[in-house]
Amino acid sequence: MSMIKLVNVRKSFGNLEVLKGINLEIQPGEVVCIIGASGSGKSTMLRCLNHLERISTGEVYIQGELTEKREKNKDLMKIDPAKVQALCAELGMVFQNFNLFPHLTVMQNITVAPTIVKKINKDIIEKTALVLLESVGLSEKRDEYPSRLSGGQQQRVAIARALAMEPKIMMFDEPTSALDPELVGEVLATMRHLAEEGMTMIIVTHEIGFAREVADRVIFMDEGVICEQGTPDEVLLNPKEERTKIFLNKIL
Amino acid sequence: MLNETQLWAILNGTIVTLEIAIVSIIVGAIFGVIVALGRISKNKVANALSWFYIWFFRGTPLLLQLFIIYYAIPIIYLDATGMTFQIDPMLCAYVAFSLNATAYLAEIIRAAIESIDNGQMEAAKALGMSYRQAMTRIIIPQTFKRLVAPMGNELILLLKDTSLVSTIALFDLLRTVKTMASASGSWIYYIYAAAIYLFLTTIIQVVFDKMEKKLGVYER
Repeated sequence: MSMIKLVNVRKSFGNLEVLKGINLEIQPGEVVCIIGASGSGKSTMLRCLNHLERISTGEVYIQGELTEKREKNKDLMKIDPAKVQALCAELGMVFQNFNLFPHLTVMQNITVAPTIVKKINKDIIEKTALVLLESVGLSEKRDEYPSRLSGGQQQRVAIARALAMEPKIMMFDEPTSALDPELVGEVLATMRHLAEEGMTMIIVTHEIGFAREVADRVIFMDEGVICEQGTPDEVLLNPKEERTKIFLNKIL
Repeated sequence: MLNETQLWAILNGTIVTLEIAIVSIIVGAIFGVIVALGRISKNKVANALSWFYIWFFRGTPLLLQLFIIYYAIPIIYLDATGMTFQIDPMLCAYVAFSLNATAYLAEIIRAAIESIDNGQMEAAKALGMSYRQAMTRIIIPQTFKRLVAPMGNELILLLKDTSLVSTIALFDLLRTVKTMASASGSWIYYIYAAAIYLFLTTIIQVVFDKMEKKLGVYER
């Protein structure tokens, strides 16, 4: 069973069609990197998966369960919102701008969702949080507010925060794009570690070297369609499509 | 100088003034949140109701709202039921000032909520929180610091506006000293009132400044 499936997904903002018929399946344990120019629809596709954006047309499945079926911005099926919310909570998301909660400490950032969404006992989740902070190398920052952390540290807390919900899939939306160059490495190291542990991951990134190294599959998106996909070597070293070649030439 | 009776009268007037201002800022803040959430709600009915509420209570003079509650309601009640009832002027003042403060505070709170980065709501939703959980745990707490300064402003305005209640048979600070001034022909009583108003607003200003600093601990 695939973790995630998109069937002919289209998404328009007003007259602008951003996704023009996307079909995608992600298998358990797979690490998929999505590359492409800005405006190609990479982030929008990710945001459609966990319902931060509602699709215009198509079907979305999470763990084999239909979560959205729409045609021209109208629901074709009434799906229990509580069920959708529960399935979406299985998808952890890491944002470009971290989006840590500034009024909460590092520890509270990690524990707030498990305590109020999953009703996990505070003492238990704090222990889990400490283990997670340890694994991203930030256990000494537990009582700091996010504003006192560097960008790289904030992003690592954001990863720990998402992991605390025990997601089945982790999605990363350009996780290193807002970081100073010297801070990119620590975040990529954390992600690499996750991939090695067998986490299913979808990563929108401009880090081609990283994609080559960790991805099982690379997807190149252009103008709202999946233009080319395959193993990192196929897509990044021997691209078949002209548009992939042009893009790779520009950024390498 | 003031004799003992005058001193007590001025103290009582000050208490009336303070009571109305404090009750209305508290009630206004609570209902202000509800009206503000209505204003940003996608629900058309909630949206229209809050818009209408704010439109009415900001768009008409507070004095007029006070008159409607104090003079018009007993007459409407009489017409409808044939019974008279004695309306408590202090209660009228609480209600009118609270309704009015709600309208102003709702707009202040709405603006504060909308000033919080959209990424905060998205992060909360991505973590599985409902809209309600995200609002109460993530978004609204972040508005507190931004609300302190405009709330202090509103409290100071309310404190001074309480002088309007002299029109519905209440002895607030200003009316008390005015009575003394007319009776004695001395203007000095106005100076006493000014001193008391300034004393109270100074306290408000200092306390709210402190609160703002305290609520901002998480900002670098």
